[in-house]
Amino acid sequence: MSFLKEVRLEGKFGPFVAFQEAFGFIPNLLHAQTLLPRVIGAQEKLESAVRLREVAISRVQKERILLSVAADRQDTYCVAIDCKVLSALGLADGQIDDLLTDCRNVDLPAADLASLQFCLKLARHAPSVNSEDIEALRACGFGDESILEAVVVTALAVYRCTLSVGLGPEPDFEPRRLASNRTAPRRGVVLHSLLPDAHKVAHRKGPYLPAPFLSPSAFAPFALLKESHGFIPNFFRAQTLRPDLLEAELEAMGRILLSEDVLTRVQKECILLAVSAANLNSYCVAVHCNLLRGLGMPSEEGDQIAVDHHESNLSERDRALLDFAVTLGTRGSEFSREDVVKLRTLGFTEEQILECAVVTALNNFSNTLQMGLGIEPDFEPPVVFRENKVHLPPAASPQNDMSVLVSPQQTVAAQDPDAGLVAQAQGGKLEAFEELLRRHSQLVYRTLMAILGNPADAQDAMQDALLSAFKHIDGFQGRSKFSTWLVSIARNAALQRLRLRKNFESLDEGEFSEEGEFRPRQVRAWQDNPEQSYSKSEMRQLVEKGILALPASYRVVVMLRDIEQLSADEVARQLGLSIPAVKTRLLRGRLMLREWLSPHFTTSAKGAV
Amino acid sequence: MITCEEFFAEFADYMENQVSPEVRQELELHLSQCRACHVLYDSSSKTVKIVTESNSFELPQNVSESMIERVMAELRKDRS
Repeated sequence: MSFLKEVRLEGKFGPFVAFQEAFGFIPNLLHAQTLLPRVIGAQEKLESAVRLREVAISRVQKERILLSVAADRQDTYCVAIDCKVLSALGLADGQIDDLLTDCRNVDLPAADLASLQFCLKLARHAPSVNSEDIEALRACGFGDESILEAVVVTALAVYRCTLSVGLGPEPDFEPRRLASNRTAPRRGVVLHSLLPDAHKVAHRKGPYLPAPFLSPSAFAPFALLKESHGFIPNFFRAQTLRPDLLEAELEAMGRILLSEDVLTRVQKECILLAVSAANLNSYCVAVHCNLLRGLGMPSEEGDQIAVDHHESNLSERDRALLDFAVTLGTRGSEFSREDVVKLRTLGFTEEQILECAVVTALNNFSNTLQMGLGIEPDFEPPVVFRENKVHLPPAASPQNDMSVLVSPQQTVAAQDPDAGLVAQAQGGKLEAFEELLRRHSQLVYRTLMAILGNPADAQDAMQDALLSAFKHIDGFQGRSKFSTWLVSIARNAALQRLRLRKNFESLDEGEFSEEGEFRPRQVRAWQDNPEQSYSKSEMRQLVEKGILALPASYRVVVMLRDIEQLSADEVARQLGLSIPAVKTRLLRGRLMLREWLSPHFTTSAKGAV
Repeated sequence: MITCEEFFAEFADYMENQVSPEVRQELELHLSQCRACHVLYDSSSKTVKIVTESNSFELPQNVSESMIERVMAELRKDRS
C-alpha cells in the first residue's frame, strides 16, 4: 500500500483502460491516486500525448530519457517500470544497465547522447540550462520539434518522480539495484558541458524555440485561457509548435487546478508559488504572485510566501502544507511517510494530501518546462525575487540552497533609491521626510486626482495622506518600494473621502464588467501630426477633460500608466490589481479617450492642414 | 492572413510592445492590408502619445511647495 488510502474504482475507468492497453498493466502509482480519479485522468492525458505519441522523437528515445532521469533521482519505483517498458520495446539488458550507471557509457549515436545529457541537466538543475545547450542540440541535428519534445518528456519524468516520492507506491516489478557509484549524486554537479566555454558566451535570452502564431479563434484551448485568465501566458505561447502537447497540458492543468472540491484555489496557488520559489523559477513566481493577487491576496503577502512562507500570515496549517510541498518538490530525498503523517495530524484529509502532492508534481512539470524553453516572463517578478533570475554555471549553483534568496528587506532596499532617506526619516529626521515628499508629490497628486476627479478634493486628501504617512512611517518595513507604500496611503485617504460622497463611483470593475465583448468603434483616420493643431495648453485641457470623463476604474490606470508612465506591473502593485485586469482597463480607457479626442484630430477636423 | 478579430485580440499586447517576433510579424502584415485596423492602431498610438506628452494634472510647483511647507510646519509643531 502507498502512503495514502486507496479505493476500488468501479466499472471501466477510462484512464485505467488506456494504461492497460498501452503498457499491459496499471501502475501502482495510479492506484495510489484513486481517491481523486480526475488527477489520474490528468496524468493519463499527459502520458498519452507526451510519452506514447510518436511525432518527432521515437518511443525508445523518450523512454531512455524517462529512465535516465528516474535513475539520476534514485527513484527505484520509476526505474523498475521504465526498465520493464524499455525491455518490452526491445532494448537489450546490457544497454539498460549502462543507462542505469552512467549515460555517458552507453553505446549511442552522439546526438542521442547529447540529448540525454541535456535532459539530465534540465531535470537536475533547470536554472543552469541556457541557449548554448539548445544550440548544441541543434548542432547535433535536433530539430525544434525534437527539442521541444525532449523538454516536455523531461518535465513528465520530473512529474512522475515527484509523485512517486510523495505517494510511496509499492513497486510494480522487482526493483533494479542502482549502481552504487550513483547512489549519491553530488549536489550542483557539473555535467560534461557540451560546449566547454559555454559560461563565457553571452547567453541569448529565451524563448529558445520559434513559436508560430496560433490564434484563439483557431485553437479553442487558447480562447478558453483568454476567457479564464484574460490573457495567454507566454508559457503556452512558447509551445505553439505543438498544439497537441499544449492541449494535453491544459487539460491536465485544468483537472488538477481548477476544481475547488478538495484544496481551495488559493491553497493550490500558494503551493505553486512556494515550490516555484524554492526551485528558483522567477517566471512561475511572477505568474503565481499575480494569480494570487487576482484571487484577493495582498501583493506583499504573496512576495513573502515567495521569499519564506514561514514568515507569512498564513495559518499554521497552511504553512505546514507548504512545508510538505516544498520538501517534496525540492528535497525529495528528505521526504518520507512522516511528512504525510504530520499533515494528517493537522487535520488534512487523505484527498487533500493527495491533491497537494499532485499539485507539487505539476509545479515541477511546469518549472522544468519553463526553464528548458527559456520562456520569457509575462510580468516582472516581484522586486524581492528579481535578483534571482540567474543562469548560474552549474558549479556555482548549490541546489536547493535557500540562502540564495536574500531577505526581502535587503533586496528591496538595494533597489529602492529612497531607502537611505526612509531610514533617516524613520530615525526622526524631518528633512529627509521632506525630501521624500518632494520626490513623490507629483505621483501622489495624480493618483488622488485620478480617484477623486477634482483638484480641491485631491489637494485636501493629499495633505491628509502626507501627514498620515509620517505618522505611520515606522510601520513601513521595506517589503515594497517606498513610493508604492506612499501611494497606498494616498489611495486610502482618497477612498475615505469618496465614501463620504453621496453617489460615489466604485473603483472596482462594478458596472464595467471585465467580461464580455468589447469592440472599438470605427473612427475616421487621424491627421499626421495631431499635436500641431492645438497649443500646448489647449491640448492639455482637452486631455484632462477627456480623462475626467472616463469611468474612475479606467481613469486611475490610464493616469498611472500613460501620464505617470509607471510600468503595467507597477500600476498593478500600486492598485492591488492583477496584471490582466490592468491591461484590460488600460486598453478600454485608451480606446475611450481616443473616441473622445477623435473629433478634434481626424483629417476633417478643425486645424487640419 | 489573420482576421480583424484575431488582430484585436492581440492589440493590447501589441500596443504595449509585448508580443513575440512571430506574432508581431502577423499583426504587421494585417496592419499593412487592413485599412480599418490601421486607423485603429494609428489613432490609438497617437492618443497615447498625446496623453503622455500633455503632462496633464501637473501639480503646479508653487502649490506643491506650499503644501509641503504646511505639512512640515504641522509636523514640527507636533514635535515641539
